[in-house]
Amino acid sequence: MLSRRRFIATLGAAALAGCGRPARERGATTLVFKHGKLFGDPRALRALIDEFERAHPGVAVREETLPASSDEQHQFYAINLQARSEAFDVLAVDIIWVAGFARAGWLRELGALEPGAFFDGPAEAVTWEGKAYALPWFVDAGLLYYRKDLLEKYGLAPPETWHDLVGVAREVAGRVPGMHGFVWQGKQYEGLVCNALEYLHSNGGAVLADGRVVLDSPQNREALALMTDLVHRYRVTPASVTTATEEPSRHLFGQGRALFLRNWPYAWRAFQDPSSRVHGKVGIAELPRFPDGRSAPTLGGWQLAVNAASLHQEESKALVKFLTGEKAQRRLAVAYGFQPARPALYRDAELLATQPFVGRLARVFAAARPRPVTPQYVRVSQVLQSDFSAAISGLRTPQAALAHAQRRIEAILGAD
Amino acid sequence: MRTEREQPWRYLAPAALLLGIVTVYPLAHVVWLSLERRSLLDPAPPSFTGLDNYARLAADERFWNALGNTAYFVAVSVSLELVLGLAFALALQRPFRGRAALYGIILLPWAVPTAVSARMWEWMFEPDIGVLNYVLGAQVNWLGSPAWALNAAVLMDVWKSTPFVALLLIAGLQSIPQDLYRAAAVDGASRWTVLRRITLPLLAPMILVALLFRTIDAFRVFDAIYVLTGGGPADSTETLSIYTYKMLFQSLEFGYGSALAVSVFACVALIAGAYVFLLRRILQ
Repeated sequence: MLSRRRFIATLGAAALAGCGRPARERGATTLVFKHGKLFGDPRALRALIDEFERAHPGVAVREETLPASSDEQHQFYAINLQARSEAFDVLAVDIIWVAGFARAGWLRELGALEPGAFFDGPAEAVTWEGKAYALPWFVDAGLLYYRKDLLEKYGLAPPETWHDLVGVAREVAGRVPGMHGFVWQGKQYEGLVCNALEYLHSNGGAVLADGRVVLDSPQNREALALMTDLVHRYRVTPASVTTATEEPSRHLFGQGRALFLRNWPYAWRAFQDPSSRVHGKVGIAELPRFPDGRSAPTLGGWQLAVNAASLHQEESKALVKFLTGEKAQRRLAVAYGFQPARPALYRDAELLATQPFVGRLARVFAAARPRPVTPQYVRVSQVLQSDFSAAISGLRTPQAALAHAQRRIEAILGAD
Repeated sequence: MRTEREQPWRYLAPAALLLGIVTVYPLAHVVWLSLERRSLLDPAPPSFTGLDNYARLAADERFWNALGNTAYFVAVSVSLELVLGLAFALALQRPFRGRAALYGIILLPWAVPTAVSARMWEWMFEPDIGVLNYVLGAQVNWLGSPAWALNAAVLMDVWKSTPFVALLLIAGLQSIPQDLYRAAAVDGASRWTVLRRITLPLLAPMILVALLFRTIDAFRVFDAIYVLTGGGPADSTETLSIYTYKMLFQSLEFGYGSALAVSVFACVALIAGAYVFLLRRILQ
């Protein structure tokens, strides 16, 4: 199975390399830009690329789209980058891959980031051993959606702390039959890690600090205990949260059956549809925090990087700088509602006028925290997924789950 | 004389070559990879580490958990499929009006692609709006509780694969000579005696073949459970194939992942060997 897949991937890479060659022989340079299917209409991105081509005579850019599944993209990149494939020059990478790809030597180092040009979260996530290996392109982070109409009706304010949220949810759910208090993503998958880290980080906790595993800490115990209490003690979250991913939780909230929802900004659009049952009744807020902590939404999003084996290093770097630059990010934001990684754009009049919702997210993105930045992230995440899931489904106490995860992650990083 | 002896080899060579390329070589390669420390993301070049990966396997609680889940899944789903499949086969054995239509309906679950039926079952298992809880009037968190999730996957597998067992057994039943049944009727044998003394013994080889196919298939189960639960909650539905997939294609740990793949292969080979041994004894 394995060798066959590699074989096919190699064949594919060889075929692509073959395609690129004639252009080089003509004296022109063709840059291949690989990315997953990112957003709706591809024309605005293409228009930007055309502009880049006009500014760089002799350079042509070809976009190549990868399957939407993040696992498949990760595999494709890893297999081809490891084989030092020259078949693509610029690539879009998920925030959680940068450290691994950088340590493997697959990405070109891009120099120091302009201080303050990008939000802190993405800036931290693209940096490995003090150097940037990718530039933030667009960002994503967790948000709290709430039923504005119901909070107003009962004279309640959006919650600032997790305990406030529990109080509000119990009060409203007690008065509205069939209403769940708070829905989020609790299935054993990457989304669960994103959710759980928001509790840990907003209580001053962490997974790694200076390369050490600091998971089994009092802050984390308190945070994870609150998360499991939502289900088992306060019962504001239905037990079926252990099967919920983004869409099912969005549906539940969209049908008017939940007071609070934790989701990514994308969900906003669905609630604006006039046919939606919650149309006009939805408010957004920063995710709650613990009394001594700060709201800490988990960071997602995509970065652009240069393949270290690319034959066109300078042109590729120029393309990455161009597409992650202020002008390009503004244009993509206006065209698609794409969320720029540059804080300055959130004060831009044109953007605020055309995408008022994006404009409201500046504070959220400024507070967003990356998942642990380690080359072993995928394996660390698998451990976290399983132990967080054990805690939420009541199989292990939060304390036992954290201690168990601590041991397993230490083993992974120790063997590395 | 000499040419006659050489001839079989010439006819077999293309098939043997093809099998060698598509089966033996990849298998040997996976075995080889399992002896290496090799991870795509590891900047160090791959190195030969002998049986290290297997030592790690023996001490890996996640591996034993996955093996236990797989064994439970196989044992429960295959026994249920056999009992139900046999019942269907016996019921459909004699011609009656509408039998052809019934055949078609029973075969339907087998014809639906697994990923599609898993998606369908995911909706039926949904605790709030799913049809299963509605019909049962219950509030079971089918896929979300560690106690239920693997059983829910068994239920789906039984629904999907019973038709296959029934089909094989119907074919087996039709090959039993009718004379034996007539003779038994003349002797005044009860239906239970006929089933025990004639049908089951003569059906035994086909039962073993069905068991062989189903056991191997169930042991490698991947798509159904991956779609239903992704291995959760708390690894309670993580089978060996799912663990192997995550190790190979998410973590990109080709060395250790290959050791896991070899362990799946070894288990399946043992099971197949045991069935073939039994089958031979019965046929002799």
